[in-house]
Amino acid sequence: MSDQLADDGAEPVIEAVEVRKTFNHGAVVALDGVTFEVAPQEHVAITGPSGCGKSTLLHLLAALDVPDSGTLRVAGEDVARLERPNEFRRERVGLVFQMHNLLPHLDALGNVGIAMFGTSMGRRERTERAQELLDLVGLDGLGHRRPPELSGGERQRVALARALANRPSVLIADEPTGSLDTGSRRLVLQLLERLRVEEGVTLVVVSHDERVLDAADRVIHLRDGRVVDDEGED
Amino acid sequence: MSFAWLVLHNVWAKKVRSMLTALAVAVGVLTVVSLGVVTDSIRTTASGVLELAEAEFVVAQEGIGVLDSALTETQLDMVRELPGVDNAVGVLLNTSELGDDYPLLIQIGVRPEDVRPMGVRISAGQEFDADAEDEVMVGIRLAQDLELTPGDSLEIDGEQRTVVGVFNTGSEFGDGAVMFPLVSFQAEQMVPAGLSLFFVQTSGGVAVSEVQQTVEESSPLLTAIRDLVEFGQSDPGFELITAIDQAAMIIAIGIGALVVMNTMLLSLVERYREFGVIRALGWSRRRLVGLVLGEAMVIASVGAGVGVGLGFLTVWILSNLPDLLGVLEPIYEPWIFGRALITAIAVTVLGVMYPALRAARLSPQEAMRRE
Repeated sequence: MSDQLADDGAEPVIEAVEVRKTFNHGAVVALDGVTFEVAPQEHVAITGPSGCGKSTLLHLLAALDVPDSGTLRVAGEDVARLERPNEFRRERVGLVFQMHNLLPHLDALGNVGIAMFGTSMGRRERTERAQELLDLVGLDGLGHRRPPELSGGERQRVALARALANRPSVLIADEPTGSLDTGSRRLVLQLLERLRVEEGVTLVVVSHDERVLDAADRVIHLRDGRVVDDEGED
Repeated sequence: MSFAWLVLHNVWAKKVRSMLTALAVAVGVLTVVSLGVVTDSIRTTASGVLELAEAEFVVAQEGIGVLDSALTETQLDMVRELPGVDNAVGVLLNTSELGDDYPLLIQIGVRPEDVRPMGVRISAGQEFDADAEDEVMVGIRLAQDLELTPGDSLEIDGEQRTVVGVFNTGSEFGDGAVMFPLVSFQAEQMVPAGLSLFFVQTSGGVAVSEVQQTVEESSPLLTAIRDLVEFGQSDPGFELITAIDQAAMIIAIGIGALVVMNTMLLSLVERYREFGVIRALGWSRRRLVGLVLGEAMVIASVGAGVGVGLGFLTVWILSNLPDLLGVLEPIYEPWIFGRALITAIAVTVLGVMYPALRAARLSPQEAMRRE
């Protein structure tokens, strides 16, 4: 895919140049000059040992935090200079968390619909879109079930539907199969691939799971806040 | 799913928290409503004295409660001579009781020749003699309640009196009273030539406020009262009651707000992850504060409704206590509901603002890390 990017000359969806992020007034260096690019609709996995900076990178990509230095452009926006980061999170990126993080008191439709508040969509449109997404992830008929009434795999699929609610350019997933059994893990991976093709999203998946890494076009290895290997890069 | 639905759903989903918060609001509203109704009712009941006679205003002793006012017939003569005064009638007031059904009986000493000029109508029988010692007239409400007619006997303060007439003043307060001949009543009360109030009628074409001013300027011992507001201001006792009422309202709002804040802060800790998730999904701080405030407003409305209901129940219980029967006639003015609503909103907004702002300041990634 990286070759394809170079060949096509298409603008990268994600462009990180010498990104640095520290905590505790510089005492802890989480990312130390990270540079990489991700092409449109590419499926990239980020991996590395605990504490290598994966979660920090994910938070920066989702505009949940800003880099100390360097440039990070996601979906055409410099995340350090966003005027309304919440709008960016709502409309440009979709987030899937390891623990699905569904709201337990809302049913599946509500959990998907809640991501669409603040958009121009009306109530009926939001409900229709939520239903359409639940159908897409294979949960038709389960819209009125609450998270405790769903299996782990079904919950993660609701989380995927929620992440896609506002048609984001980039889907960022943090250990999306971390809490799933083998069957559910396979289903979620197949679904991710299908969504990439059908919804046209770029996938960035943080994981330790070998099967998740195998499914990616490219794997970026982080260690001590640096990119130590970028499989697939020239 | 609309935003309003989400607000209502969240309130319903956390029933215990919502109920506790509504209860705190209800207690604040209950305090404010019951104190407000009681204060207003007592003030209105007492100010009924202003309606005893057809007069433009009432003259009482300056700086003393109207019911404790002590004037003299010499002062009455002086007022009658003031420019703009057409007529002034002096009455001596006292309170007593008439068994359990009438714990507050208003006694009015008045000259018989002043009864009709006061605008009092005789419904049955006639006026008492000026120097009669055991004759009385009863108000029409009292006569109906006790089934009294002219010629009947009535024991007041251990003395048998003969009812010679039934009068009608047109006011609730006056129609529950008993009238005595002034001279014998002054002797009984051991205040010869003593009076409590003067009912003043002004000459036509003269501004009432000017005559009031003339009366007050004629003696520093006199105050002229025209309405409920002036009545409240003239009586230090009522000023104190009003001050206590207002202080209680502030305390009730303060305590209520602290309880609401405590409950909402606990709820905030419980909902860290939820708020973090919706912030991560792109909700703005304003929308999140709107959600928390919206939930609080729903709870406030429930609390206000429950508080008003409990307040009315409290007032009803109080007004039926034997010692307060007839003294506390509950009056529910529209402003009481306004005050209940203001209290509920004040308690809720004060209590919820800090937790809501803290929720809005939460960093999404930090919030999601918390269990």
